Parts: sequence; structure tokens; C-alpha cells
Amino acid sequence: MKLYCLSGHPTLPCNVLKFKSTTIMLDCGLDTTSVLNFLPLPLVHSARLSKLPGWISKDGTVNLEKELKECAGRVFVDSQPEFCVPERELLDLSTIDVILISNYHCMMALPYITEHTGFTGTVYATEPTLQIGRLLMEELVNFMERVPKAQSATCWKNKEIQRILPGPLKDAVDVWIWKRCYSMQEVNSALSKVQLVGYSQKVELFGAVQVSPLSSGYSLGSSNWIIQSHHEKVSYVSGSSLLTTHPQPMDQSSLKNSDVLILTGLTQMPTANPDGMLGEFCSNLAMTIRAGGNVLVPCYSSGVIYDLLECLYQFIDSANLGTTPFYFISPVANSSLEFSQIFAEWLCHNKQSKVYLPEPPFPHAELIQTNKLKHYPSIHGDFSSEFRQPCVVFTGHPSLRFGDVVHFMELWGKSSLNTIIFTEPDFSYLDALAPYQPLAMKCVYCPIDTRLNFHQVSKLLKEVQPLHVVCPEHYTQPPATQSHRSDLMLELQPPPMPYRRCSVLNLPFRRRYERVYILPELANSLVPSEIKPGISVATVSAVLHSKDNKHTLQSIPKPPPVPPSKKRKRVMEEPPVTPAPKPLLSGAVPLEAFLTTLQKHGITEVKVEETADGHILHLQAEDTLIQLEEDGTHIVCDNNEPLRTTLRDLVLRFLQKL
Amino acid sequence: MDGECVSLLPGVCKVLADSGRSLPDDTSLEKLLDWFTGLSKTGGSLLESCPCLLEFISTVGSNTALDPGVLSFALRLAGLIAAREAGFTVLQERSVVDLVFNPQHWQDAGLWSDPCIRIGWIQGLQNMLQHPKALSFFVQSDLTQLLLQLQADTSLFVASAASQLLGHILLRFQPPPSSRREGTGETAEDHQGTSVEYAAVVVVISEYIQKSLSTEGSTQHRRSVQLLRLLALLLAQAGPPLRDTLLQAVGDALKELVAAGCSQLTLPLMDVILAAHSCGADKPDRHLSCLLSSMFSVNKPADLIQAAAAFLRRGLHDSDHSVWAVRILLLPLDIVTGRSLLGSKDLDEHRLSTAEELKIKNSCISLLCLCLTNTPHITLLPADLLPCPPGLIVTAVLALLSISSGQNSASSSPTATSCTEVSRNVIGSSKVQKCALEALAALSCCPGGKEKMNEVFTVLLQYLDSPDSDPTVLHKSYLALIKWMSLCTNLSFLTEQLRQDLLSVVRKRVCDVRWEVRDSTVEFVGKAAGVLTSPEEAPEGLPVSTAPLLKEALQDTESYVRASAIGALAQTQWHSWQQGAALTQQQTETVSRLLEILSQDTEGFARRAVVQYFISWFSAVSSHASPSSSISSYPSASLLMNSVRSVLSFGSADLDWEVKVHTLELARLLLDEAFLAEWGYRKSPDSYAGDSERTCRLHTHSRGVESDLAGVLTSLVELGVISALLSGLVDCDRPVALKACRLLIRLRDTVSWDSESQDASAAMATVTRVSCELPGWGWGQEIKKVLESKSSDWASKDCATALILSGADDGDSDQDGGDRMHAGVCEVLRSLGLDERLDILSQSSDHVHNSPLSLLQDILDASAAHTHPNTQPGQEVIVDCY
Repeated sequence: MKLYCLSGHPTLPCNVLKFKSTTIMLDCGLDTTSVLNFLPLPLVHSARLSKLPGWISKDGTVNLEKELKECAGRVFVDSQPEFCVPERELLDLSTIDVILISNYHCMMALPYITEHTGFTGTVYATEPTLQIGRLLMEELVNFMERVPKAQSATCWKNKEIQRILPGPLKDAVDVWIWKRCYSMQEVNSALSKVQLVGYSQKVELFGAVQVSPLSSGYSLGSSNWIIQSHHEKVSYVSGSSLLTTHPQPMDQSSLKNSDVLILTGLTQMPTANPDGMLGEFCSNLAMTIRAGGNVLVPCYSSGVIYDLLECLYQFIDSANLGTTPFYFISPVANSSLEFSQIFAEWLCHNKQSKVYLPEPPFPHAELIQTNKLKHYPSIHGDFSSEFRQPCVVFTGHPSLRFGDVVHFMELWGKSSLNTIIFTEPDFSYLDALAPYQPLAMKCVYCPIDTRLNFHQVSKLLKEVQPLHVVCPEHYTQPPATQSHRSDLMLELQPPPMPYRRCSVLNLPFRRRYERVYILPELANSLVPSEIKPGISVATVSAVLHSKDNKHTLQSIPKPPPVPPSKKRKRVMEEPPVTPAPKPLLSGAVPLEAFLTTLQKHGITEVKVEETADGHILHLQAEDTLIQLEEDGTHIVCDNNEPLRTTLRDLVLRFLQKL
Repeated sequence: MDGECVSLLPGVCKVLADSGRSLPDDTSLEKLLDWFTGLSKTGGSLLESCPCLLEFISTVGSNTALDPGVLSFALRLAGLIAAREAGFTVLQERSVVDLVFNPQHWQDAGLWSDPCIRIGWIQGLQNMLQHPKALSFFVQSDLTQLLLQLQADTSLFVASAASQLLGHILLRFQPPPSSRREGTGETAEDHQGTSVEYAAVVVVISEYIQKSLSTEGSTQHRRSVQLLRLLALLLAQAGPPLRDTLLQAVGDALKELVAAGCSQLTLPLMDVILAAHSCGADKPDRHLSCLLSSMFSVNKPADLIQAAAAFLRRGLHDSDHSVWAVRILLLPLDIVTGRSLLGSKDLDEHRLSTAEELKIKNSCISLLCLCLTNTPHITLLPADLLPCPPGLIVTAVLALLSISSGQNSASSSPTATSCTEVSRNVIGSSKVQKCALEALAALSCCPGGKEKMNEVFTVLLQYLDSPDSDPTVLHKSYLALIKWMSLCTNLSFLTEQLRQDLLSVVRKRVCDVRWEVRDSTVEFVGKAAGVLTSPEEAPEGLPVSTAPLLKEALQDTESYVRASAIGALAQTQWHSWQQGAALTQQQTETVSRLLEILSQDTEGFARRAVVQYFISWFSAVSSHASPSSSISSYPSASLLMNSVRSVLSFGSADLDWEVKVHTLELARLLLDEAFLAEWGYRKSPDSYAGDSERTCRLHTHSRGVESDLAGVLTSLVELGVISALLSGLVDCDRPVALKACRLLIRLRDTVSWDSESQDASAAMATVTRVSCELPGWGWGQEIKKVLESKSSDWASKDCATALILSGADDGDSDQDGGDRMHAGVCEVLRSLGLDERLDILSQSSDHVHNSPLSLLQDILDASAAHTHPNTQPGQEVIVDCY
């Protein structure tokens, strides 16, 4: 059993598991942090961005004026942003049989895998994962295609040139495999390969293994996966949460008794408690609005935003914000808000029960009804006529490199009354803000990451007790910035197996058993004999039939009776005449009784020698040795066949025949 | 004693002595005994006032068929009667003492096995053992052995009572010190007799304690704990001879127990040693010092630190041990923070075991908390007892706070590896955080603390800013902040950055999602304004910048926060009120918002706070106004007085009784102020009750003042003070009515003149003409009813009508349908029967129910109901149900 690690990102994993002749890809997360190296894509022409100076090396020998621009002391690539896709060279992606998706954040690289690689397998995901994942992909494509950039910068990626570049660009890794965003057509094609599954549904893969998604409590339709054969069980834990937010709670008990547990997707903010952050978010928001400023919340169009809106719904009145407008701007804003209301079966119990009441599960419906929350596909169109300040705007993309958020950054960045509140933990907020510096706007970092923290995960592992744990290497040491926090790492016995991008791990367990079926008629013919109290043994002679990874023992076909014909015998292969199998022997020879028996047969001079495994009997008169060992008996007797036969028969008396 | 009670008592005794009768409930005997105890304490002889008791005890004592509860009661009562020598003699003459306190009597009756009887016997004895004769009886009857056996009784209560009795005997009959003996009138023979018996008892008891401690010390912890407690009690109160005898007897046993090092016995043992230590002579006993030293050398960190804390709490002058105890207490802090508080001297052995203990989460937290709670006390000890300057301890507590918030690691030290393991137990532990914050608050008084101010603020602000801080942790951080702020009158000692941070954190927290946090923030703002008395040098100083936040908080959805905001507003404005600063537009707005809250807010807390706001405004202004100038010269007098008028009218009509009481407090201040301006008498902060001096002075005033008095009274009527008082008087809530009644009595005494004197009555003509309006509904009607009933008491109905000066105004009839009336204030005050009312109101509402008479009647009634020929068992219950 092997694990190929195609992504090193702990929360955007992409691993391939080879298990019992199947090749299973676990998630295909897209690492979008690479876009931080690019200039923002403004929706409206920005004089500031267009006037940025190009970059020329100090000695003037390298001129990349067209590709790289200097902004606020840093150098950015002026081109369509590119993403760091999963490794494609580690193994042949066309051999992948299935892809299991655990949540909509972990499927964003799907088109890169399923298209143009020869992939012919199936993708398994739950319905909300598929639908919301589609929305997020659509949004991403929309953000990119709305502001097309003809130019594609490649010169800077030249190894020789990259070496002399300043700052983070110099240290960017795998820049050659960075890819531009996919197209809507590729998205549709990729998603057409998705087959929907429900929680705990068991899907057979070629009869060899069974996979089954379990609720993971992190987002709508998010799941962990169990991959098991008859005798082995691998659990794949991706983004999971034990907090009571909107999704169904996490199913922990089904993870028990795993041989291997692959652990990914822990919180990226182990020191930031989501409740505390939510509190910070609200108080900073209220503080800014009271002072007459606007609040900008760069966020994804699904996920935490539902919880933010729910929290605000309760907070608005207590903070006297009843008259402040809240805007949600995204190409998929409307679908996201509405989808969330219809996935009732995927919601937590509390919200599910609301389905039977004349009120929607999420309170944002009421915010919309009362005109407190308004949503628009983009800043163009209706929004501009309705726009009223001070206000709160939720919009993407959290990297601040594309999407409507770029416009608000340009609009509000200059006033210290306004505040930007980061809630998504995926991007370093300082890097996200870099191309907007100098910035007068207040910045608040309230990353809300509801995924498991180290305390919760060690409790979970104590409960489910897997034999081995595999996890990204980040989890085996404290965060680099907080090396004293030994509580922020996994400490297990045996220690977890760490992986990084491009690792290939041999998972440390051997398959020892295989299930074999036996046909009833064959079973009927068996004659068990009891060898120990409660244990019976029978010998079986049969033909092993293997098909679709199922093994069946069938009776040996009887040779067809030779038809009484006078025709000349056809030249046909005679079935080999199988001699009746010799009976198998079992049992041990008791020394004392054996000696007595020997004596009865006139063999008296026996010297018994004790060895590590049993005894050696030296029949001195006959010059013969009998070795009685745990797993074998030997009679060494030169040129005296009758004696040997006698002795053999004496030994056999003490053994049982099956 | 009440005659009625005396007449009922024989009946009650009969009921109790009758085995077939039942009691109203199982507490009645206890109540009865409490009553008798009270009676005997007030000095009277029980036998003289209730002769039937003698008969009762002798009958009951011989009737073993009675309920054990009654028998136990009789035993204790007998002890109570025999507590005086005279009573004892009478009981002995009737052989009652010999009978009831003879255990054989109860054993023969098969009742001794009932713990009720045993405890009655013990407590009866304890009641009785107050004089030498009783002791002689006790010794001669050879009850000591039995009492010692009862120490190990199966019933915890019996065992504990027996142990108390042992202590009582030893302490009560101690020979008085020779210097004291002279004045007491005791004769030498008297004492000699006792002392022989006493000495014998002491010997037996101390032998017993010694034997029990050495045999049971290691096995039966519960018993040992009890013995040690008794010993500690004895040693703490014993005079030198007894103390020496006891110590001599138990010294070895104690040594063994200390050596055994049993954790459960650490604290009781420490109590014993310290009790002996602290009452000893100036020079500490060598043996005790040894014991103490061995207590301090046990290698169990939890026990050790407990012993050290117990030692320090005693505050003994024992510098050797104090130094040691301080070091032990500071050790956990030293290890966790890596600050070397103790240097590297000795303690190595303890350091290792404590470090191991700290790796276990539970013991880590308890050790640290014990250490932290003692740090403030430690820093106040003389410098030569401390291993480091007090400032270093403050730094260590700050370091611990930083570690606990996950901000900082322990500073690098040789033990750094163990520190990471320990800090994992501490990170995020709100218990440690709270404990450390409390300690930090108390450490503000430590010598040299002021220099640490910036460090303290840095850590506290970190806590206040942290999103993970629990609301209680935030609250404690604020409290600590206030404590440290109070060391200075302004924030100029802080760096500019810290001042900015403080302001921004307060701005953020006042918008917090959790109301508890908003509440403590608002409270903090108020308290900070109270503490920072000198004006801020910067225009954006804390009080100035936070005022808008408070105004915003008046709109909060949570009533506690609104109330706190109102309180904080009062605190921030106190100085400007006192200094008579001119009114700002903002203040005017605040006042109208507050009146709106008073009249409309649905929650009592906010309304109470509004009334208190005006109380503090008014008292700030009146404390500022000199006797010669009145409030009217104050810049914002008209706004204040107009608001006060509204507060009185809203407040006295409020549904919440506390709002009404506060309103009456405001009325009291107004009365004070009114009469102060007129006569300039000394103000007293407490309420009007019993201030005869003032009344006298008012009464001796000459003519010429009557018109002023009339003016004052008229202004009080106009302000609504009189209406507030009258409506309070008839309020259904007792505290409101009581307060109003007291104020009205004071007012009456102030305005009434000796009606006999001709001069006075003439002079008062104008005063009596001052009238007030009574509404034709609600309290007005109640007052009218009271007046009518009173007038029917002492004169004809016509008088009552005469009080009412005029009926309904033409055409101006009240909406509620009632007629408004005018009444003369003086007449009303005189005619309301205020003194009787005060008597009634002063009694607690359950005084009838709790009286002995009611108890006696209950007992009689219950037995009557039970024995009534026509009642079936259970019928009583049915009657109760329907």
C-alpha cells in the first residue's frame, strides 16, 4: 500500500492511495496562494496600478519591465494570476480509478486532473459539495474572464532570472507548473464526471474495496472517507469540525479501528479560537460603523459567510446597527444564499428541524426580506444605484488579487475610518495587502477556521485509536513562528508518518488475509474433525476462481464421462489423474508414551537428548536417530527400511489424520 | 416573659410529655429550645419563670416510652436549667440530674443506641457544665470514660459533639491566671476543690488524646483529623498550664504523625503546630520548631506548599521558618516562569519533585493558584525574609500571565525542557489566568510596584485585547487595571503607545458581542474616571474620549449594560458637577435620555441607575455648595431641579420597589438641602431617625422664620417631595413604606411646633396654610382613607373633612375618575399616625409567625387536631389540600 503526495499544502491536500489494486485520489485541492505574487486585476481602470514602474535588475542587465512591476517596495507579476496545481509527474494520472472529494474547498483543482491527463475514472462527492464547488469554480472563472489579460508572463520563471529576483518571487517554488485558471467548459466537463453519494453510502470499487463518505461537520456536505477491504481499513480525515455551526455534526465513531488514518485539513489558525474571532469580527465591525466608516469583508461566497451573517443577524440589534446596509457581492451570491437553504438534509439538527416550520433554516433569508442584506452579482448595474454608506460589504476574492474586492480596496483604502476585516485563513493578510500599500484603512485579522485544532484532534485520535497516522509534516512540529508552543503539534505513539509534496510513503501495514467464498455444495462435502476443543479442521480440494477481486472456491469439475462412442478418440488433453490426496496429519508426539511404545517393540536403549525445539531420541542399538520437533519429525536410519517403516508407523499412531 | 406564653406553657409541657400526641413539625422542639436558651441568656431563671418545667423534666426523664426526640429535648433542657447552680441544686434535690444524666438509665431502657439520645445527653451535659458543682457531678459519676468512648461514636454528629464537650470541659474549668483570680470573688477553697477534679480530668483526657493519636494516626485518618482539630482548638484557647500539659502529652505522637507524612493530615497538623506556636511564649518552643521544620521538609510538593501557606497566613514572627515558607511558596512560580526568584541556593530536592508535580495538569494548576494567592502577602513581608526584591515577583506573575495567554515562552533556563511541558498545562487555563490577575491586582500595593507600571499595563492590555479571553478574565483584568491606575492620578506615567492601546481596546470591548464584557468595560470606564482625578494633559485622554462610548451604551439591548453605563456616566461627571462646571449641550441631551429611560425602560436595573445618577448629581452639587450659597447659585441648577422633579414623580410611581427606595433617598437629600439652606444646621449623612439635636434647634427658633419655613415647605410640595413621601407611605412594599414613614416623621418633627404655646401657633399660621394636592385615585385615596380612619379614632368625622381643604377643581376632574383634593401638609403629617405606623413597619413581616407564642399555640393546636375524637388520621392533610 502506497501513498503519493501530490500537494504539500496541509489544508488543500491531493494524495493518491494505492490499495488492493485500486488507485484512489483523495481530494484535489488547489493552492491559490501563488496569486499573491501577481498584481491585482482591477474591475475599473486604476490609474495607480497602470502607472507602476517596471522592474529592471540593479545592474540593468535584466529588463522585465513588461512582466514585473514594482509596487510599495515589492515586485509583482503583471499577468493573469496563476495557481499552483497538484504535482502531475509523480505518477501517471490516467491510472487513477476514482477521486474522492471531501469538501468544496478541496476540489478546486479538479479540472486540472480530469482534463487533458487521460483520466477516465469517476469522481465521488456529495451533492452540496458538487453544487457549491461548482459555484466557487464558476466564480473563479468569472473573476478571471471579466478582466482578461492578453499577456502571459513567462520570462521571469526562467531559473537563471528567478534567482536574481527580489523578495518572495525569488523563493517561489515550482513556478513552472503554475497554471492559469481553467475555463467554464473545462469545469463543466470535469464536473460531469462526478457521481453523487450520500453519507454512509457504500460504494464498491471493482469488488476490491468499499469507500464510504462520513459527515465531517466542516461545511455543507463535507465528508471524511472510509476506504476498506474485508480485513483492512483506511480512514481519510480531511477538513472536519467539532463545532456546532450549520453543517451536520461530525461522525467520529465510524473512524474507529482503522489500520491507517490519513489526517489532513486541521485548522490553519491553531491559536485563534473561532468563537473569539467571531466576537472580534463583530466588535470591530460595530466600532467602525459607529465611527462612520465602512467595513470590507473579503470572503468566499460560501461557507463561513453563512455563519457570519447568522452571527450578525443576532448582533445587529444589540449594537444598534439596524439601519446599516449589508451588501454581498459575488457572481454567485444569489445561488449561494439560496442553495444553503435547500440542502436541509445536510444541515445540523437544529436547522433541519426548521424545515418543518414556515421559516428557512438560515436567518439570512430574513435579513434579505427586511432589506438589511442585499446581494448583487457585481458592482456594476443595480448595486451602484443602491449603494449607501456607511455600509458593510462581503465580497471576494480573499486574496485581494481579483474579484470585486479589488475595487473596494481602491475606493476605501485611503480613509482611516474604513476597516477591512479578514476572516478567511487561507492567505496571509499582510501579503494580501502588499500591492495596496501605503494603506490608511484599518486592518483587522480575524481568521475564522472551524476545522479541528490540535487539542481536539488528539482527543479524537485517543478515541478512535488508529494503528498508524499519516499527516503533513507541518503537524509534527510547532508552527515556525511559535516554536515554544509544544501544544500546537501532534504527539502520538507510534509517531505519525509525515509527508510533504512529492513524498511517496509505504504505508506500514501488510495485508495478511483475503476473504475467499466457498460454494454451498462444496461446503457440504467437507468433513471437519476437531483438533482442539472448539476448533475443527477440514481439508478441501477445490478450484479457486477469481473474478472482479472476488475469490470463490468451487468443486473440482468431474471429468465428463467419456461418451460411449465408437468414434475415434479425439485428441484431447486428459484431465491429469489427480491421486487421492494424502491425509494431513496433526498433533504432537508425547515423549513418555512414545518411549513406552518403543519399549513394547523391543527398542530399549534410547538416549533422549533435549534440544531447543524438542527432543532427539538416539536408538543406540539400531544406530538410528529420531528427531521430534515442533514442526517436523525425522527418522534418520541408514539402510534399514523395515525399521524405518516400523518407526514411522509408531510415530503415526500418535498423530491425528484429517 | 410574655404572660400569655407562661399560661400556655403547662399545656405544652403536657402535650410533650404525652407519648401519644404529635408535634406540628420536627423543628418545633429545636425552636422551643432556642427560645429557652434565649430566655436563660437574658438572665432570668427558667425555673422561676416557668415552674412547670421541673415537673416536665422529671416526668419525661422517667418515661422511657416517649419519643426519643422529646427525651433528647428534655435532656438538653435539663442541662440548660442546671447551668445555674441554683437550678442544678433544685434538679439534684429532685434526683433529676442523677436520673437523666445517668447513661445506665438509658441503656436499661434500650434507648442508648439511638443517636438522638446520645447527642441529647452530650449537649445537656455541655449546657450544664458551667459551674464547679456540675464538674464534680461529672467526675464523681465517672462519665469521663464514657465521653471518651463517644469520641469514636459511629454517628459523626455524636462524635463531633463529644469532641466539642471535651474541649469545653478543658477550657471552661481552667484555673484562672493568678493575676485574674483576685477580682472574681472566687474563694480559694472553691477553686481548690475544682482544681483537683479538673486536674484528674485533664490527665485522663490528655492521655486519651496521646494514645489515640499514636495508635490511630496512621490508620484512621478521619478520627485523627477530628482529634487534631480538637487539639488545635484547645491549644489556641488554653492557658499556659493546660497548654504545657497537652503539649507534653502529645509531643511524641505529633512527631510520629509528622514523620508519617500523610497528605490528609497536613493541614490539621499544621493547625495544631501553629496554634501551639502562636500562643506560646515569646521564644518559640524548641520542639515546636523541630516539628515545623520537619513539616517543611516533607518531599510532597502539594503538602509542602499547603503547609507553607498555612504558616504564612498565621503571620508568626519566626523569621527562619518564614524565609523557608516563602521560598517554598515561590518555587512553582520560579519553575514555570524560569525567572530565578530564589537564586540557586538549596531547595534542589524540592525543585525536582515540584517540577515533576507541575507536569500533571491538575496539580500544576492548584500549586500555581496557591502560590499566586500568597504572592501579595509575601511582597509585604520585611525585605530580609524575601529571596528577591518584590518587583521581581511582580515580573514573575506578569511572565506567568504571558505564558498562560500563549504569548511567551518561559525564559531560557536550565530547566527549559520541563518548562515547555509545564507551560502546556498553563496555556489557556482561565483558572490560572484569573488567579494571577487577582494576585496582580493585589500586588499593586507592593513596595516598588509603581516602577513596573508599564510592564503591568502591557500584559493587562494584551489580555484585554485577546479574542480568547473569557468574560470573567476580562473583568478581572479591568479590576487589576483600576487597582494599578489608582496609584497615580493620571495616565502620564504610561507611554504614549500604551495610552493609545488602552483607548482602542476599550473602544473595541464596548462593542463586544458578549454583554458581560460590554458591562465590565462600561464599569471600567466609570471607575477609571473616578480614579484619574487630575485632569488629563492630552485632549484625547481616557475620560474625555470614552464619554461618547457611554452615551452609546445607554442604547444597549442588555439592561445591565445600560445600568452600568448610567452609573459610569455619573462617575465621569462627578468632578465637573463638584466643580460647578457649566453645562454642555451633550450633558443636557444625556439628562433627557436618562429621564426617557426612567419613564420608559422595561427593566428595573436601568431605572434604578437613573435615580442613583440624579442622587449623585444632587449630592455632588450640594457637597460643593457652601452653607451660605444655595443650589440655586449653581450653573445648571434649573436643569437639575427640573430633572429632580421628574425623577420624583416617575420614581415614586415606578413598579420596582428599589427604584422607589432610591427615589425616597433623593427626597431625603432634598429635605436635607432645604432645611440646611434655611437654618444651616449640620448635615448628617444618615437618615432622619433619632436626631434629637436638630429638632431641638428648630424648636428654639424665634419668630420671623416661620415665613421661610412656609417657603421651604411650599418648594418641597412643588418639587413633589411631599407627594413622593406620601405615596411611599402607603406603598405595599415594606422597605418603601418604612423609609417614607421615617422621613415623614422627621419632617413632621421639623415643622410642628409646640401647639400649646400661643406664640408658636400664631407664628405657624402661615406654615399650616401650606397645602399639597392628593390625587383622587391610588395613593391619594389611600392617604384619604388613612386620614378618615384616624380621625374616627380621636375625634369626629368632621375633623377629617376639615383636613381636606378643598374638593375637586371645577371642570378639571381627573381622567381616572377620582377627585383631586388639597390637604394641609402639617395637618396631614400630624394626623397620619406615623409613629404607630413606624412600629408596625419596623417589625419583620414574619414576626407573628416566628414568635414563641405562635410556636406554643402551634404545638397545642397540632396535638389537639391529632387527638380530636372525630378526626380520622390523614383528614388534616385533606383539609389542608382543599
